[in-house]
Amino acid sequence: MIIHQHTKIAAILKHNPASLEAIVSISPQFEKLRNPVLRKLLAGRATLAMASKIGGCSMEDFYTRLAPLGFTKGAETTAAETKELQELPALIKSLSDEQLVVLDVRPVIAAGEDPLSLILQKIKTLQSGQVLKIVNTFEPTPLMLLLKKQGFGAYAVQLDDQLVETWFYRLADTVVTNQRVQTGSWDEMLARYKDNLQTIDVRGLEMPLPMHTILAALDDLPEGKALFVYHKRIPVFLLPELALRHLDYRVKEVANDEVHLLILRN
Amino acid sequence: MYTTTHRAVVPFYVYAGLAFLVATVLLFSGAGEFSGHYFQPHILAITHTMALGWGTMIILGAGHQLIPVLIEGELYSIKLAYISYLFTAVGIALLVWAFYIFDMGWPAIYAALLINAGVIVFFVNVLMSIVKSKRENIQAVFMLTAAGWLLFTTIAGGLLICNFTENLLPEGSLHYLSLHAHIGIVGWFLLLVIGVGSRLIPMFLIAKYEHPGLLWSIYGLINGGLIVFIFIFLNTVWPVLYGIPLICIASAIVLFGIYCRQAYRVRIRRQLDDEMKLSLLAVVMMVLPLLFLIGLIITLLSLSADVKMVLAYGFTIFFGWLTAIILGMTFKTLPFIIWNKVYHARAGTGGTPSPKELFSGKVFHFMAICFIIGFIGFAGGIVATNGMATRIGALLLLGCAVLYNVNVFKLLLHKDVML
Repeated sequence: MIIHQHTKIAAILKHNPASLEAIVSISPQFEKLRNPVLRKLLAGRATLAMASKIGGCSMEDFYTRLAPLGFTKGAETTAAETKELQELPALIKSLSDEQLVVLDVRPVIAAGEDPLSLILQKIKTLQSGQVLKIVNTFEPTPLMLLLKKQGFGAYAVQLDDQLVETWFYRLADTVVTNQRVQTGSWDEMLARYKDNLQTIDVRGLEMPLPMHTILAALDDLPEGKALFVYHKRIPVFLLPELALRHLDYRVKEVANDEVHLLILRN
Repeated sequence: MYTTTHRAVVPFYVYAGLAFLVATVLLFSGAGEFSGHYFQPHILAITHTMALGWGTMIILGAGHQLIPVLIEGELYSIKLAYISYLFTAVGIALLVWAFYIFDMGWPAIYAALLINAGVIVFFVNVLMSIVKSKRENIQAVFMLTAAGWLLFTTIAGGLLICNFTENLLPEGSLHYLSLHAHIGIVGWFLLLVIGVGSRLIPMFLIAKYEHPGLLWSIYGLINGGLIVFIFIFLNTVWPVLYGIPLICIASAIVLFGIYCRQAYRVRIRRQLDDEMKLSLLAVVMMVLPLLFLIGLIITLLSLSADVKMVLAYGFTIFFGWLTAIILGMTFKTLPFIIWNKVYHARAGTGGTPSPKELFSGKVFHFMAICFIIGFIGFAGGIVATNGMATRIGALLLLGCAVLYNVNVFKLLLHKDVML
């Protein structure tokens, strides 16, 4: 079998079960693979490149240990993935205490369980602007890739050989910081129109009355004022109407069933 | 809140779009068969791809999304939504294949079982959502009743399949075909499209128009007409009595036309987009099958049923108004679902595109043109027995299906963009 940095550990184990011992012998970090539950979960997600980061070893270690078992080294493809997370993102530097959610998964892993569902649960509750810090014994590269697909950036720091801290943050939040300069965020816009707000509440209205009420209020909106709307959800069908009227908007999701909407003239 | 996750809705849309493509491919490859009898494997396969794969699947998808909006509550169960997708998706594909190769043995029987299971699950989900919300809403009642008729249709369809191999029913399956078809067309499609349309059309026109009395009359006319039809059918009384359900259904359609016209007149949005134009055209096109039906009844009274008329009748329903309203309404619903998925997390930042910008208006425009010319060509070809016209018509409808899928996939693959 030809292997390279993108080969999954699971594929190697499947091809030759004896490779388990060879891999475990590379780094004590891989002892986890002996546990059938963790093996099933981790091996399917981790590639050789990820494993070498987790185990603190080089790709060559894998190639030399696995060669006697009939694995040959394939062509290296570009190794761009690991490069991108070098600089501590500005967002993390400027964190306040309430913005940081910490989750230590070491006890979960020590108990032989998969922390993935716990992490995903935690990340779901993450509010806009908040950052999740995961404390672990290795760099969770598979998790970083998984969450990247869900719109999270990640940054990991190895504090010592048994302690790694990884931060996960919504990429949209970093957009907010870039955006602020261009068009003004919710907070800025709200501050700008602080004394020039007209407020309506459409939460108690049945569809499609919220839309009618908002459009009627916009027709009567004096020049220089903004409309502040209490709504139950983001009114997606209103958005094209706003675009037609050359109006701009900002949305803030306060809770699951409460959305604040700020409509302003361009 | 009150929004069904896109994961439970989008698969239905994708399935429907691909089914439409398959149906138009079959239509094109079998265009020649539209000069013969309608009761033959390939036409049954096309009809069921359209009725179930295209029409029903998109309505089930949109239904899961709409129910929470209508009842101002949550969908009873997302899990049931996934299960109904799984059952119907596998069942419909199996059924179409069984019709195509005309094997009414196990493939068709298992297909019927799966489809019925999927429909039951959907019915229960709608029913429980309404029961739990305790809020009466006329459109939700339309949807629930329509789902009940759908179940009736698929049970009847299942019996017809079994009747091919076992003699379950007193007559052959061909005899019951019009019963099965009309419960589906009138009870499921017409009732549901009118119910949902009565909410969506004024909403997209931004019309402050409501008329529950008119809608309840339509509801009574359609259901009453259908029950009378079933009674006449099973008791084989004079064919002339079929005029009663026909008048009921025709009046319901006219009343719905009036309802839409009223909404149109008081609309706030003066300029209509292409999607709304096509949806309103669909309402006008509802009259076409009625004309063929009247023609059919006249020929039925004098001689026997004219197969050309039956083919044209079926075609103007499934490839006519039903397809027109789906083509229009897809791009009035799916872009918003996708927008919500991609942008709701950063809607506070500004610089997000409008949901309308997530698909190509130009592609939609060409799709609509292909549809209209293709429809006229094919329907005209059936009536005039002109093979050239049906072939060109089928090719244009195929082009329409391709363009539809191009736009749907453009939507699905949309990635966050900054303006």
